[in-house]
Amino acid sequence: MYRKQVRRRRAVLALLVVGSFALLTITYGRGSDGFQRSVSAVFSPVQSVADRALKPARDLVNWFDDTFDARGQNEKLHTELETVRAQAVGAQAALAENAQLRELVGLDKSGAIPSGYDPVTARVIARSPIVWFSDVTIDAGSNDGIEVDDPVVNGDGLIGTIAAVTGGSARVTLISDHSSAVSAKVVPPGVQGMIKPSVGDPGDLILDFIDSTKRVGSGQSVVTAGWRTEELASRFPPNLPIGEITEASILEQEAQQQVHVRPFADLRDLDLVQVLTGGSRG
Amino acid sequence: MILTPNILARLVAVVLLGVLLQLSFFSQVEVFHTSPDVLPALIVALGLLGGSMTGAVCGFSAGILLDCLLIVPLGGGSLVLMACGYLAGLFRERFVIQSPLVAPLLCMILTLFAELGFGAVELMLGLDDSTVSALVVRDILVKSAFAFVLGWPIYLGLRRLLRPALVEDPAAPRRSRPTVLGA
Repeated sequence: MYRKQVRRRRAVLALLVVGSFALLTITYGRGSDGFQRSVSAVFSPVQSVADRALKPARDLVNWFDDTFDARGQNEKLHTELETVRAQAVGAQAALAENAQLRELVGLDKSGAIPSGYDPVTARVIARSPIVWFSDVTIDAGSNDGIEVDDPVVNGDGLIGTIAAVTGGSARVTLISDHSSAVSAKVVPPGVQGMIKPSVGDPGDLILDFIDSTKRVGSGQSVVTAGWRTEELASRFPPNLPIGEITEASILEQEAQQQVHVRPFADLRDLDLVQVLTGGSRG
Repeated sequence: MILTPNILARLVAVVLLGVLLQLSFFSQVEVFHTSPDVLPALIVALGLLGGSMTGAVCGFSAGILLDCLLIVPLGGGSLVLMACGYLAGLFRERFVIQSPLVAPLLCMILTLFAELGFGAVELMLGLDDSTVSALVVRDILVKSAFAFVLGWPIYLGLRRLLRPALVEDPAAPRRSRPTVLGA
């Protein structure tokens, strides 16, 4: 009887392991399949409702974390903290959302978003809990005109690209994800390179493959290069702000042809984003 | 664990609620610059209460749902969480759990295992040419510490929820001997 139980247990375990590997093999490299689309279609509205319902609780926890952080900083922040404490959590959430929407509209009007792109505003409804991934799920999908590889921005600048789409949701691979690579240039010198992440540290990006004969320095801004040839074009429009150079030692520039960049957007705290749909790609 | 339709429905609800809460709440809050990952702890608690099969199947289901909702290749999450559930269940079947620290400690250790497992799966899928920051180690350790803190309430809550199905429940109140008046 016991042996039979053990045999059955082993069989189920083997089935689950084989099933997992089979699923990985079948679905790897494909954006999303029918099964995922169906599950996502069912759960997207639930996630959206849960996201909105839990926002005050999230803001409260994040407020405590921010407060804890601020305590370790200088005296100057104390006055600001007093003001923040006085605000109700719900009102604070509404203010933050309002500010984000204003920034998005500002980015649109400032000309940072090139013509030919149609921005679709979406809310982040889920975030990967795994440290090795930098993905978020947004509540807009192919029904809103979003396609795979569309660039995604927020009020501060570029945050990533669309990696997979279902009808009502889409996965955004952030520029801090290990699979991300963005062709970028430093302004004003115009030195070009590739923005790659430092996995696990969303506050540090690496501008790689730069021309070691040209010098770049701390404080210079990095924007998307948006190159175009006869047959191919970058998936990103030109001049979208990415970040600013924080470390640019001559040694690192000469030996490794790379400098460190801090992204303008806070990739750990994303709420409202804009997907740039409809742009022409090669 | 005695699986009745009622208990099965509770298990499904726990897994669904766990994944939704993880994605909509825990992944989006930051404490000490890291967001807690309660899914491994939840699966470990289910494994400890239900045994290796319950743990493995719940882990597999939670992983599949997680992968579906994150729109990432299926199988990675289920492989790692299934292993967590199975190992927790195996522990329960091999050893007698006496100390109240066992559940949180196991949650902590298997969360560490899960985070490293996710890294291994990612390595398998092509992490090789990327720079990995040392902050990953800090994130993994803090997540494991969160699992220790959250493991105990999760375990207690699930034990209460699944009590009718548990084969042996050390927390069940002992009947006191009736007082015999005049004896």
